[in-house]
Amino acid sequence: MKRLCPILLLFMAIIHFSSCEKDDICVEGDTPLLVIGFYDITDTTFKSVNNLRILSTDNDSILNSTTEYGFTDRSNSPDSISMPLRISETTTTFQFISGSSSDDDGNEIGNIDELQFNYTVESSFVSRACGFVASYIDLDIPREVTEEDWIQSINIIESNITASNRIHVQIFH
Amino acid sequence: MTWAQTEGGNDTIARKDSYGLRVGVDLSRQVLGALKDNYNGLELVGDFRLSDRWWLAVELGNEERTQEELLAETPLYKYTTSGSYVKLGGDYNTYTNWFGMRNQIHIGGRYAYSTFSSTVEGFRYFNSNRIFSPDELLIGSTEPRELSGLNASWLEFVVGMKAEVIKNIYIGITARLGHLVGEKDPDNFKNLWIPGFNKVTEGAKWGVGYNYTLSYFLPLYKKVKKKEVPEQE
Repeated sequence: MKRLCPILLLFMAIIHFSSCEKDDICVEGDTPLLVIGFYDITDTTFKSVNNLRILSTDNDSILNSTTEYGFTDRSNSPDSISMPLRISETTTTFQFISGSSSDDDGNEIGNIDELQFNYTVESSFVSRACGFVASYIDLDIPREVTEEDWIQSINIIESNITASNRIHVQIFH
Repeated sequence: MTWAQTEGGNDTIARKDSYGLRVGVDLSRQVLGALKDNYNGLELVGDFRLSDRWWLAVELGNEERTQEELLAETPLYKYTTSGSYVKLGGDYNTYTNWFGMRNQIHIGGRYAYSTFSSTVEGFRYFNSNRIFSPDELLIGSTEPRELSGLNASWLEFVVGMKAEVIKNIYIGITARLGHLVGEKDPDNFKNLWIPGFNKVTEGAKWGVGYNYTLSYFLPLYKKVKKKEVPEQE
């Protein structure tokens, strides 16, 4: 029996190894959000947007979450905000409303600029627990600037959106 | 501590041990294959006695397994891994048998190589932002994507025992701890499960396996066992 003991211990150690599970929770990745920075058109430093509202024209939802998007609805924006893009389509359209508020009848009286984001969706495998996430490749924002627009210029820094940790698009106003 | 057969040291009967080839099959893979829809496997085992305590050991196998990874109740992706493997190494018998017994408690090592393919059967995009799809994760693909030409090699530590239940018929059990030393990863996927190696733990490259074998010992020749010199106290 004396010789059996260390072998049995080894046996149990090996079985024990198999029950060490650290990869059941997804912490390694996520489908990224598009990160937009707001800049002053003249001196290109960060510049807040007053009473910003971002409205999806695709499903009429309003971005309103400090934790998810970085700002609450109709607040003065921080330097940068995050916004989701549709995975099921290759285009997502948002209304960017500066100075947003409603009149007595509930109509929007802020300055509305509509931006369309075009891209292709790719999948990338992250890990066992997360599986596949989406990436947005070849981002394009076609637009014509008119007199009334508050957004004066747009610059795409990163046309491939694979992570949410940096600014992809600069908006000058 | 002394053992019965070495006591005295004046045995008049020369002890002869059988040497030969033992071949068998892993029963656990057969049972799993019969019970589970998502698994099929076969492992043949063989070992050859080289000396009093050393055995040359080999395992040959083929496995196919389909697995689905879930996030809570939502299926994230489904994949099938299928391939063959070979393991080659040695076992050292630590057990000193009484006269006439031929049992083993052994430790050993293997070098193992597997060649396989993985098929991603389908997946959904993991996305914690649910503004555009509040009810479910969006389907990314339902088209199977086969990733072939994959391989992996690993070193395996083995502990086990074998008992002779009827003359020349053995049952055995082993537990194995493998560590990957090389692998060819697929494009846009990972080797999450490898035939013969089992589940790949992320980051650590460890795998755990076992088998329950039934085998037949084919005696080929006999050799007189060298008398063990009693240890000097």
